[in-house]
Amino acid sequence: MSVQDLAGFSRVTLSSTVPLSYSFEKKPSALVISVETKVSLRVQQAAFKSELVKSVGWSRGKDEYAFSIELRRKGFSFEHKSRANPFELMIDLKPAEEPEETAAPIQAAVRAAAGEVPAPSTAFPPAVRPTGAEETKKFRTIVIDPGHGGLETGAKGKFGALEKDVTLAISLKLKDIIEKNLVFRVFLTRDKDTDVSLENRSALANNHKAELFISVHANGSVRKNARGSETYFLSLNSTDEESRRLAYMENTSGLLEGQIEQENQDDVKLILWDLAQSAYLKQSSLLAENIQVGLNELLGTRDRGVKQAPFKVLTGVACPAVLVEIAFISNPEEEKELGSEQFQNNVARAIYLSLIEYFKSYS
Amino acid sequence: MTKTKWLVLAGLVIVLSVLILIFFRGGDGDKAGPETEPPSPKAPPETAGTRKITLFFLSEDDDFLHPEEREVPVGPSLTDDLETAVVELIKGSAKDLVPPFPPETGVRQIFVTKDGIAYVDLTKEVTENFAYGSSSEMSAVYALVDTLTFNFMDIKKVSLLIEGGERETLGGHIDLSRPLSPQYSLIAK
Repeated sequence: MSVQDLAGFSRVTLSSTVPLSYSFEKKPSALVISVETKVSLRVQQAAFKSELVKSVGWSRGKDEYAFSIELRRKGFSFEHKSRANPFELMIDLKPAEEPEETAAPIQAAVRAAAGEVPAPSTAFPPAVRPTGAEETKKFRTIVIDPGHGGLETGAKGKFGALEKDVTLAISLKLKDIIEKNLVFRVFLTRDKDTDVSLENRSALANNHKAELFISVHANGSVRKNARGSETYFLSLNSTDEESRRLAYMENTSGLLEGQIEQENQDDVKLILWDLAQSAYLKQSSLLAENIQVGLNELLGTRDRGVKQAPFKVLTGVACPAVLVEIAFISNPEEEKELGSEQFQNNVARAIYLSLIEYFKSYS
Repeated sequence: MTKTKWLVLAGLVIVLSVLILIFFRGGDGDKAGPETEPPSPKAPPETAGTRKITLFFLSEDDDFLHPEEREVPVGPSLTDDLETAVVELIKGSAKDLVPPFPPETGVRQIFVTKDGIAYVDLTKEVTENFAYGSSSEMSAVYALVDTLTFNFMDIKKVSLLIEGGERETLGGHIDLSRPLSPQYSLIAK
């Protein structure tokens, strides 16, 4: 039995050499797991330090064990999943949403607004109202965007490696490692070699109410010796116009529903949609910093730092969003690395670990 | 008889001077204005003199834009001068700096709006002959933007068109759907 704090939640894991059947009883500040078994269990518990879980205790009844997870606070939600061979029950506990979250009303309004704008491809789910937040929190989503694809190859390496192939391979590995270890669902903007428009990539993130958007790229330069990793977040390319719009948005978005007449709402929402990312620049920069540190530490690539540029794919994303340039495919040495399975695994792991750091610090 | 001879001669002179004009301006003869303008065929285009402009190229050594000065003829209008600058930029460096665009790239047309946005329409070779990565795409875009805003006070922003139409990006990265402001921070110190 172990307890571990992960990104925004605590995970209690019950492992056993024999399969167990179990049931839950939820109390205000505790969760009791009843386990029925004919065999007697020898309970081992690892020491832990957790922000949410105060203590874990157990007691034995007739053919039954009760494990009690005491929390430091009232109000929580939990999800569980189990695995067989060997049996493992994972319970993820999350503190209930705090009503006094600072930017919450604005963000919720922006999301709701963005969600209602018709995207070119798919139908949108109904708008999220602050009260309905519980509903969406059930599935937390990250969208990973493998850069380029199809006819659009992206940058090319001297030995023939294509950016679109490298980005897909890394993205698939990243999806895998996140879904194995965190409670997030991961959607890819493409899972095969196909053309996807830049608008549809950001629309996918907004449709799924993604909490994070990570676009994976390999860099290309006219300089053969350019090398290293860099992480971008959006810069708005025509500052004065954008900041005027942004100011307008910040001033009005909280009042969107109430004050703006129906026929004008569509226009306002289009503006919001168009510049959705501008409301998340601060968080995006923090995410970029975390990922940049992670890449440099784990990969040992040259640190080219966190940068800002007007990347088309980031402009419409209504959540923290970054574009990661793993390494230079135009550099023969880095091209080789980008193509290697081990390097790709390391990249996925580096980004995954930095996501955990990010969630620890900012959610 | 002599009158018609004169007329023919005058006509020839005008045609010739227009041809010379087109030749010196890089072969783009689509503009309606300037061609019909010069009434005196004796004035060669050079009389407007030359000026020094600064072009921004890339380098093998770092990621910055590197200035290179060049003496170019002054044309009859702002758009002509802008075109000269773009053509020179595409032509490449006289030293060992790296040009930002494929050398086959052509300039189709340039026009300037009242609020100082230069629309630069390039031929399809700008994307067809090159696979851009983020770095090379950013260098290319801002080498052009900075060159025009740096040399021409009236130009505040630059918008890129390809074959007469809007394009989202050159190669999947930098947003071209809005006019771009200069990024002088990319210029080498």
